Amino acid sequence: MRKLFLSAFIACLALFLLSGPVLAGSTMDRIEKTGKIKLGFREGSIPFAYIDPKVGKHVGFSVDMAGLLAENLSKRFGKKIEIEPFTVTVKTRIPMVVNGTVDVEMGSTTYTAKREEVADFSLIFFFSETTFLVPKDSGIKTLADLNGKRIGAARGSTNLQAIEKLVKEGKFKPADILVVETHPQGMLALKSGKIDVYSTDRSLLEGLRMKDKNPDKWTTVDFAIAYEPYAYIVRENDSDFRDFVNNTIVWSIKTGKFFELYEKWMGPKGVVPIKMSQAYKDYLQMIVYPISDGWWKKK
Amino acid sequence: MGLTYEFDWGVLWRYPYGMWLLKGLGLTIAIGMAAWIIALALGILIGTLRITRYRLLRWFGTAYVEVLRNIPLLVQLFFWFYAGPMLFGETLSRKINHISGLNIWVSIIGIGLYTASRVAEHVRAGFASIGRDQYQAVLSTGMTQIQMYRYVIIPYALRLIIPPLTTEFLTVFKNTSIAMTIGVAELTFQSYQIDADTFHGLEATTGAMFIYLILGITVVKFMNIVEKKYKIQGLVGR
Repeated sequence: MRKLFLSAFIACLALFLLSGPVLAGSTMDRIEKTGKIKLGFREGSIPFAYIDPKVGKHVGFSVDMAGLLAENLSKRFGKKIEIEPFTVTVKTRIPMVVNGTVDVEMGSTTYTAKREEVADFSLIFFFSETTFLVPKDSGIKTLADLNGKRIGAARGSTNLQAIEKLVKEGKFKPADILVVETHPQGMLALKSGKIDVYSTDRSLLEGLRMKDKNPDKWTTVDFAIAYEPYAYIVRENDSDFRDFVNNTIVWSIKTGKFFELYEKWMGPKGVVPIKMSQAYKDYLQMIVYPISDGWWKKK
Repeated sequence: MGLTYEFDWGVLWRYPYGMWLLKGLGLTIAIGMAAWIIALALGILIGTLRITRYRLLRWFGTAYVEVLRNIPLLVQLFFWFYAGPMLFGETLSRKINHISGLNIWVSIIGIGLYTASRVAEHVRAGFASIGRDQYQAVLSTGMTQIQMYRYVIIPYALRLIIPPLTTEFLTVFKNTSIAMTIGVAELTFQSYQIDADTFHGLEATTGAMFIYLILGITVVKFMNIVEKKYKIQGLVGR
């Protein structure tokens, strides 16, 4: 018996040592060498990064931003840098960046101090809020209306944490909390009557709603329980690459490309119309640090 | 740059994470045991149906085994959880959806039904390994078909197939981890929760790994006792 444990332990140890990330040199060097940037995209974060069933590829606001990033990288290295896409989930997005499977996750990840402990983040590029998708005829208007309701949220999301926190503090008492793996699964649970309301960021909920056959059957409630600033995930201690991602964001704001993309995905005729608030517009203008043409060149 | 991960094994026993793992283990054992009871009872029945003289019963047994064992368990659980209630019509399905802990019940039944198909195959193999003359010998004593199975063939076959059943018994506990995908807070789920909360998923997963290992070894030890107790005299032992 003891021998058995010992050999099992050694096997585990060997696994750890072998599975360490193979990261030689900085991300920028690797991109130059291989001509590829490894991108992590979500599968169902509409309109930021999701798989369009019609083309079978990742599309969305953040995916287009990744396109800009690759363009700038191509200019930097004087050769075509291609995007190698990987699908990540709420659960895997941080580990996959940390262990080097992808160089950057570009989706709709909330920037939190806790996550900052293990990974680095780009500049904040969007603000959303944790709220709830409900059937239009449900009559849910306030947080108190959610007492006794069955609530769904995705594993590992900040939304789930926000709900659990409120429940712990006694702010409201749901009948049950169902943890799902992906947002489309949450929508399925909502539609099949497993849960009464589904919770994630408002923009994503609007995305799920618009993708449904009957978008008018659902609505997001007016109140929110937490705020979610979005940023892209990069590895720690990799500032050259992180600067490059930030410069791409800032440059896109300065050149107006950012607003074109916003219009395309979240404008009135976009996939998920989300009005740009004045505060958000001001924020975007204010983060533009002095930057000029040719910033992508190596100094 | 290199491995920037800092190990913190304390998460395994720090409050509330240690508690989460224990709670998860409790659910894993409960679901595994309940599913195993279903699997054993139904598996023996289906396995017997597959070799009876009655063609319709035989056909039913074969259909059950082939459908259940050829679809991934993950897909089956998904089906039972999301589409299953709809099979009962709209009003009843609404009631079923309001059962608290529905996902736990679904995983018990789903894993039980799936494992039953595998147990049935082992049972059939056990029957096949009993010589034809034994069947005839039993019938010649004046027993009916049902008595023959009940008193001789099934007890005999079950003793022959204890080793493969041990594997299935172990697999039931391991398969409970799939229940995580329908939101059941079992052991693997809890280790993922710890990861989401602390980003120390490596430690949490390792902790879960050892708990599964200990659980599995316990099952093996138990089954060894059973095996010894029900050894058929005269057969080649170890």
